[in-house]
Amino acid sequence: MEIAFELNGAPAVVEAAPHESLRAVLRRLGMFSVHYGSDSGETGAAAVLFDGKLASADVISAAQADGHAVTTVEALNVSPELDPIQAAFAAVGAFQSGYSAGAMILGAKALLEADPDPSEAAIRDMLSGILDRETAYAKPVEAVKRAAAVLRGDRPEPFGPLVLEPMTDGVRPTAVSPDDEPPAGPASVPRLVPSREVPDMAVVGRPEVKVDAVRLAKGNPAFTDDIEPRGMLYAKVLRSPHAHARITRIDDSKARGMPGVRAVLHHGNTPRVKYASGGQSWPNPHPYDQVSFDDKVRHVGDRVAAVAADTVEIAAEAVRLIEVDYEVLPAVFDEREAMAPGAPVIHDEDDTHHICDPERNLVHHITARRGDLESAFATAPHAFEQTFRVHQVQQCPIEPHISVAWLDSDERMVVRTATQVPFHTRRMLAPLIGMDIKDIRVIKPRIGGGFGAKQEMLIEDIVAHLAIATRRPVRLELDRAEEFYASRTRHPQTITFRTAVDHDGKLLAQDMYVLGNTGPYGTHGFTVQIVSGLRGLSSYNASAKRFTCDVVYTNIPVPGAYRGYGGPQGEFALEAHMEDVARALGADVIDFKRLNWVKVGDEMDIAPHLGERAPAEGELDEYPKIMSSGIEECMAQGLRESGWHRRNDPAWKRPADRPHIRRGIGFAFAMHGTAIPFLDMGGCSIKLNDDGSFNMLIGATDLGTGADTVIGQIAAEVLGVPLDDIKVYSSDTDVTPFDTGAYASSTTYISGTAALRAAEAVRKRLKERAAMLLEIDEPCTIELRNRRAHAPDGRSVSLEEIALDSLHMQEHEQIMGTASHVSPDCPPPFGAQLAEVEVDVETGQVTVTKLVMAVDCGVAINPITASGQVEGGMTQALGYAHCEEMVLDDEGRMVNPSFGPYKIYRADEMPETVVYLVQTMEDSGPFGAKAVAEIPKDGVAPAVRNAILDATGVAINDLPFTPERVWRALRAHA
Amino acid sequence: MAAYHRPSTIGAALELLAAPDRVALAGGTLLNADRAPSRLEAVDLQALGLNRIETVGGGVRIGAMATLGEMSESPAVPDRLRAVARAEAPSTLRTLATVGGLVARRRPDSLLLAALLAHRGRVALAGPDGENEEDLARVLGEGVPAGTLITAATIDPTGAVAVAATGRTPADVPIVAAYGRRADGAVAVALTGVAPVPVLADGSDPTAGLVPEGDFRGSAEYRLELARVLTRRVTEELAAAGDEGER
Repeated sequence: MEIAFELNGAPAVVEAAPHESLRAVLRRLGMFSVHYGSDSGETGAAAVLFDGKLASADVISAAQADGHAVTTVEALNVSPELDPIQAAFAAVGAFQSGYSAGAMILGAKALLEADPDPSEAAIRDMLSGILDRETAYAKPVEAVKRAAAVLRGDRPEPFGPLVLEPMTDGVRPTAVSPDDEPPAGPASVPRLVPSREVPDMAVVGRPEVKVDAVRLAKGNPAFTDDIEPRGMLYAKVLRSPHAHARITRIDDSKARGMPGVRAVLHHGNTPRVKYASGGQSWPNPHPYDQVSFDDKVRHVGDRVAAVAADTVEIAAEAVRLIEVDYEVLPAVFDEREAMAPGAPVIHDEDDTHHICDPERNLVHHITARRGDLESAFATAPHAFEQTFRVHQVQQCPIEPHISVAWLDSDERMVVRTATQVPFHTRRMLAPLIGMDIKDIRVIKPRIGGGFGAKQEMLIEDIVAHLAIATRRPVRLELDRAEEFYASRTRHPQTITFRTAVDHDGKLLAQDMYVLGNTGPYGTHGFTVQIVSGLRGLSSYNASAKRFTCDVVYTNIPVPGAYRGYGGPQGEFALEAHMEDVARALGADVIDFKRLNWVKVGDEMDIAPHLGERAPAEGELDEYPKIMSSGIEECMAQGLRESGWHRRNDPAWKRPADRPHIRRGIGFAFAMHGTAIPFLDMGGCSIKLNDDGSFNMLIGATDLGTGADTVIGQIAAEVLGVPLDDIKVYSSDTDVTPFDTGAYASSTTYISGTAALRAAEAVRKRLKERAAMLLEIDEPCTIELRNRRAHAPDGRSVSLEEIALDSLHMQEHEQIMGTASHVSPDCPPPFGAQLAEVEVDVETGQVTVTKLVMAVDCGVAINPITASGQVEGGMTQALGYAHCEEMVLDDEGRMVNPSFGPYKIYRADEMPETVVYLVQTMEDSGPFGAKAVAEIPKDGVAPAVRNAILDATGVAINDLPFTPERVWRALRAHA
Repeated sequence: MAAYHRPSTIGAALELLAAPDRVALAGGTLLNADRAPSRLEAVDLQALGLNRIETVGGGVRIGAMATLGEMSESPAVPDRLRAVARAEAPSTLRTLATVGGLVARRRPDSLLLAALLAHRGRVALAGPDGENEEDLARVLGEGVPAGTLITAATIDPTGAVAVAATGRTPADVPIVAAYGRRADGAVAVALTGVAPVPVLADGSDPTAGLVPEGDFRGSAEYRLELARVLTRRVTEELAAAGDEGER
């Protein structure tokens, strides 16, 4: 049918099918700012102005739009400059991936047209329909306020951190007076506590606007789905309705016979090549227990077959026409039952090797130890044991997994894909499709969030197989339900801690047992659990430590990497356990933890024994040590901000006007890692252009984290130019240097150091050429700043002059530098995480009213992007603690695979979030940087748990803290 | 959807809907979210002029095609009810979802439906013989009568109001919620989450006759406990407000 409507002020007439959504039609018309998040509209990624009102184009049919006016963010793109609203979003760092940028900007536009000075509540209400998995909404709210001010004619101050005086000497603790008020300032602004050891720099440490801000603010085509090769086919996957079954017959004849169907693949016509799908360094940890299509399915949603067809609708219908007979087998979901006698054997095939004990579903049995644990427990005056259970959640990137593959003119396979690991994907894909690595190119464009879910070769093999079968480009995008049950999730675990303590409150021994649930496949199953051990046993000193872990197969949707990577599970158990041990000893919880937590100079003694290639026990010649820690400053700032003293104020804890409410504040000590030593590697190449600018090629994978910006800042600082003179291109396996990818909190530290070294190589040559032009004998005396090379005598030459001279005039050369970096160190960031809660003791409802994180991430290269990482990480972690859970029925089907039933926080219900960045100088990192991306995931769940305990006296050891779970715990306690 | 129709009169809409495999399309937030192939044909009600919200006599008549967003901004609607309409859906969906669609959908956890019940909600239904009104409670219990079309919901906007709810987060769809209204000295409490549709509760024994179906957010036992606690809270709040509160 023909649809006529007004699009961005101009008439538009299109043909559309009755079932087509307005989103689909707008994208067909080139409105690439309108993004898919789900079909039911609740993500808001496809929101447009519909007759001037913000509305999800997912749930408006194109036919409904006939006669109406539709506005997309492209309407604002009338000049190279940003519209004031777009500019405000860019200025405050409101975008991370920017996947929902168009919707937010349009919402702001409609709101500000109706009310030029909206309240914060009105702004948050406007944002309530746009789910943001990346920020805590603080900076988008600030962006709208800033845009309002600009449009009213005000000239707001440049956006930057609130710089504070240190409260400590950086080493020793300080008492925080109840009268000491925290600094006032908007929640969106990070509080920055500088270190005297960190020099003032021109670009590093500055709140630079992200290098991709313009393309994101304008909604320009930047994501995987925004380029459509001619003749592209659409894929759909037939998924298992059973948690465990053998495929006894598959008949694809009806599907193949359907007009428009170009290929149908399944185990009967696809090579059986074993692999492990986790995006990890070569050789991926065993077992290789997957194939592209198997004759057995092991979870609801497992792959059965895939179809490529002319349209999505034909592909979906063809999938329904594939006839499959299943022999349904018993299934097991709970890790505590997986090894029991009689449990169904999930991997009974004979071509999967290196499963520890397949008959018991035991994939890995892992041990690591230091010291004499048994003696320590035998003689300790105090010993404690507790068991915790952590559950399954999903990463929920608003952009689901999407890949497009085609054979290029040289018959090479090109895969444009939303991935965190393009280089691993290229290597892992090669054997599956029978091509050499050299004949595969993987391109990572902008990604709409990943959080670990995309540290996986998840669907790239499917599109590549189909592209080979059809010799046409093939696109596959998961829908929201598939993203939940057919991508990757966080590992559930059952964790037991035993701790021995001496008379003075010092730990003698810690013993941690993890029973990890890796679902039907082992991807990441080994490494995630060892990181749980690493995080669980690294925070506190004890002369004896033991980590024991069993990783088991079950039939739940597949766990994999999720930001924090085993850390949130381990630290929840550890910080809850330490809280309870302190209480049992009658000790102040902070005094007790402080007495025992690791400090500068302490060895990280278990760490070398917990790695993919680590010895389980035995003395090593050397153990890594803590070289920097700002934890005492974090504590002082965090305790002051949280109003910690109110824990002792009965009037605050039991508000007189709300007799059913109890208030509490909880604390968790947070510690994470920075990259994987001797394993994570990044590369960088920089070349000088005619105008004195630089192209920088990096394999590092910016997921929206700001990695391109931060690494660009590092290079700009070295080269003495503004960030805008560094043009960053990242992650294309044909073009950029190798990088292991975006995971393990490694990008700034590893890839940033590669960039630092490449820039230093360029700088050296620039100085030499400058010395030649200035006729100076000692190039090392020259300094680069403000786009010029300055001699000690005051003369200078511009980088443009050097470029023109070297490229066109004399002794011709391309000035360029290349470097790579792998680190022997893994300097931990530290943090103080605090949570304030209100508990309704009649209903069990927990309301988290404030989250504070003071984090030592070394030098924050960009305090705005760094604080954005903390804000967003805390919000994800809050969901983990409080409301998110994948719920399976008795048959293993997920009962809540959509947003709403699966609850993630939205803008109008967020607690106050406050971020402190405490600087320390980490000498092994670029300009002093350590990691920041994952540590915010670690402390929220235990801090909320400990706050509930403070409020009610009830300790809850299972996540999440949903109302009925809390109500039952309160009732049991009463 | 296999086909799309946009009638311009109620009569034409009723005629279209009388044919098999036809379904009324209001805001589309439910119907358009299902992209599975279907033989159904959509009969879009947007051109019927059913989106007015107006004071009629002592009541408020809310057109079936008025959106929740329009309801949340209408001066004819009492403040607390506007807030409930606003909370019913997030910003990007409340501009589409309609009051008529809400009634037809009969969601058990809809606080706005509970509020309409407490405000003595009635539903205007157009049929081949013209328009008549039914109690909202009856429509919720039995569904929209075959061959009719919701044209409006009417409510009594007067009275004092109290709301209590329990959810996982502040903006979560409540597991159980109580909407209480005191008018002319009488208190009515409507509950969500304890029956297949929102229901008016017995003030003296709020769980009488209720057999809620539990799910992962709340077992039947827990939902009944919430019903007791939340009903008590709204009742006490309304009692504390007294006659003055009604004004």
